[in-house]
Amino acid sequence: MSRLPVTVAIADARLGRWLVAPALVFVLLGSLVPVAATAWEALHGHDLRLPWLGRPFVGLGNFVEAAQDARFTSALVHTITFAVVTVPVELALGLALALIMHAAVRGRALVRLAALLPWAVPTVVAALVWRFMFEAQAGVITAPLRALGVVGESFDWFVRPLAAWVPIGIADIWKTTPFVAILLLAGLQGIDPTLHEAARMDGARTWRRFTTITLPLLRPAIVVAAAFRMLDALRLFDLAYVMTGGGPGTATESLSLYAFIALMQRLRFGYGSALSVTVFLLTFAFALIWVRALGRSLIGERT
Amino acid sequence: MGHVVRRNKGMDGQLTTPGAHREGRVGTWPRRRRVLRAVTVLLLAMTWAAACGGRDENTRLTLSGSALGPEAEVVRRQLARFAESQPGVSVELRVTPDAADQRHQLYVQWLNARVPDPDVLQLDVIWTAEFAGAGWILPLDEFADDSDDFVPAAVAASRWRGRQYAVPWFVDLGLLYWRTDLLDAAPRTLQGLRAAADRLRSAGATRFGLVWQGARYEGLVTVFLEHLGAFGGGILDTQGRVIVDQPAAIQALTFMCDAVSGDGFVPPSVLAWQEEQTRFAFQNGEAAFMRNWPYAWALLQDDAQSRVAGRFAVAAFPADASGRPTAALGGAQLAVNARSAYPDLASALVRFLTAPEQMLERARLAAQLPARRSLYDSEALAEALAIPVGQVRHILDSAVSRPVTPVYSELSEILQVRLHRALSGQQTPAVALHEAARDMRALLARTGLAAEPLTP
Repeated sequence: MSRLPVTVAIADARLGRWLVAPALVFVLLGSLVPVAATAWEALHGHDLRLPWLGRPFVGLGNFVEAAQDARFTSALVHTITFAVVTVPVELALGLALALIMHAAVRGRALVRLAALLPWAVPTVVAALVWRFMFEAQAGVITAPLRALGVVGESFDWFVRPLAAWVPIGIADIWKTTPFVAILLLAGLQGIDPTLHEAARMDGARTWRRFTTITLPLLRPAIVVAAAFRMLDALRLFDLAYVMTGGGPGTATESLSLYAFIALMQRLRFGYGSALSVTVFLLTFAFALIWVRALGRSLIGERT
Repeated sequence: MGHVVRRNKGMDGQLTTPGAHREGRVGTWPRRRRVLRAVTVLLLAMTWAAACGGRDENTRLTLSGSALGPEAEVVRRQLARFAESQPGVSVELRVTPDAADQRHQLYVQWLNARVPDPDVLQLDVIWTAEFAGAGWILPLDEFADDSDDFVPAAVAASRWRGRQYAVPWFVDLGLLYWRTDLLDAAPRTLQGLRAAADRLRSAGATRFGLVWQGARYEGLVTVFLEHLGAFGGGILDTQGRVIVDQPAAIQALTFMCDAVSGDGFVPPSVLAWQEEQTRFAFQNGEAAFMRNWPYAWALLQDDAQSRVAGRFAVAAFPADASGRPTAALGGAQLAVNARSAYPDLASALVRFLTAPEQMLERARLAAQLPARRSLYDSEALAEALAIPVGQVRHILDSAVSRPVTPVYSELSEILQVRLHRALSGQQTPAVALHEAARDMRALLARTGLAAEPLTP
């Protein structure tokens, strides 16, 4: 483009600012204001059911209370453990699924449709179906296991603190593996087939080609998929809410679920907001570290 | 009505001011201004007419509550009758969610926003102290004379700091359902219950002995309350002090834990069950005993779905020698919104709905137990209710309300978590209850209710 007269450029810049303004206002109203309002609320003692206590400013009091709250710390441990256990499994299975979808020659559309179906099912519906399957009396998973003698007569997944995690984990893996597979499939299709051809000419076997061509070139897609999944898993709510309600006791209670209970059941807005802010900070910190550590190296490798 | 008029006047003011500013600048403005003025006048006239019409037409009261199936029908009928008796008054039913937690949340949001409607609120028995403590509902002292006729536990639940804040509407009671074809009489002690359950199970008559609501929710607290009473324990004493870590309470929870552990007479699956799952087990003939509310009676008598129709009865939940039979009290009460524009009319509506005739009609159409004791002597109630009044009547006297305190829901949540941990083997009963008591004391101290006497 040719150079514009200075006055026009300034006028354009001014116009540009005006044109951008509505979008900025929306970003401000839609995300920054609510986050700031929640953070501000988190600094207050505010219990909707106890109006006589008022709404005093308590500084970091709610966060101090959370740090001393055993239920909070165990919810934090549950959430992080859940994310660290399920996401690698989802990545591995998603990669396998993506390779199958990529390699499928016949019935490509059908294979992809079948693979993606779980992702299309609403999470709450999926959670209900999985809960029925794991139910103690007539569940299609529990009944055969009992018949085979793997589990005892009165075995019930949902009343055991560790076993209750199994249905949640399986449902999450089943549900989100297709999502990982889509992202990785896109990555696979971006790899230049001539690279594989050349390697094959040079006598490289399948495994060698996978480790030296496919995996390194797929790395950006894997990093993105892992980031999405981690952020999602750290906010675990609906599966636990529907399948176990956080029980038995609070053995499967995630941070988001505890924040929900503090906010919507106890109606302790101050404390509940502090818990929500913690979830936000946790995901934010993860995103920051992830982008810093892996995002940079990615860019470095590419150039 | 009033606030509608005010809002519209405000808008008109905004409309006319900018016109006055620009008058001198634009040549064609006077003409436009005439049009604008005409429109404004027209709008004003319309609002005025609407407002006046509204005020003359009638006064509108709002009642919010549940309207599940037959409940909607009976409440609509009664509201219409009330409106007929009060010229110029209409009453609107505002349907709220059936799930108690959701309704509670909605109420708290409304009342925090200080809305004047609904004028009359249907409250769960465990909410009255909370709403009274918050100043959201009006004291109903004018009903105090009448309160002798009501189930005492329900009256206790309607009072806060010595004043009445709500009027009991209908009551719910925890009952022991037992199989008349397998047993000659209902067990009178907890030990007798266990022995009968074990005998029937080992004889192969039923798969489970007793089923109760053991999921981590409010229902579990009512089941625990009945076991507590059976061993002579309680959650709070009359001075409002926490006593849930005393030996009687530990005994009660230990009894429950033993029942669900290993080859106990209560299946461990109850830890994920609410009312309906226990009913399914009992109506399929899988359980010899069931703890449940009166609603189950009609459904269990239904041949189309129940295998035990005509082969069961209800009794009070039995007690240990150290305690007495206890039935957890549920049900609903009516209260008046403190911000209501028509408190006298709202109170009249409460009086109307809690009159004996209305309670009888409710019993007949919605199968809900009246909160007035005198009705249980009447033939009319025996005819109106499917559940035998004779079997229920004496259980009314063993009804016990849950702790009456503004922080009940939080107390209950503390208890639910600890009970569930103990029942699922994550904590011993003693540790679970000590921790629950510690958290409850901290909660009462934090909210300034620690030394609050609970009953007048």
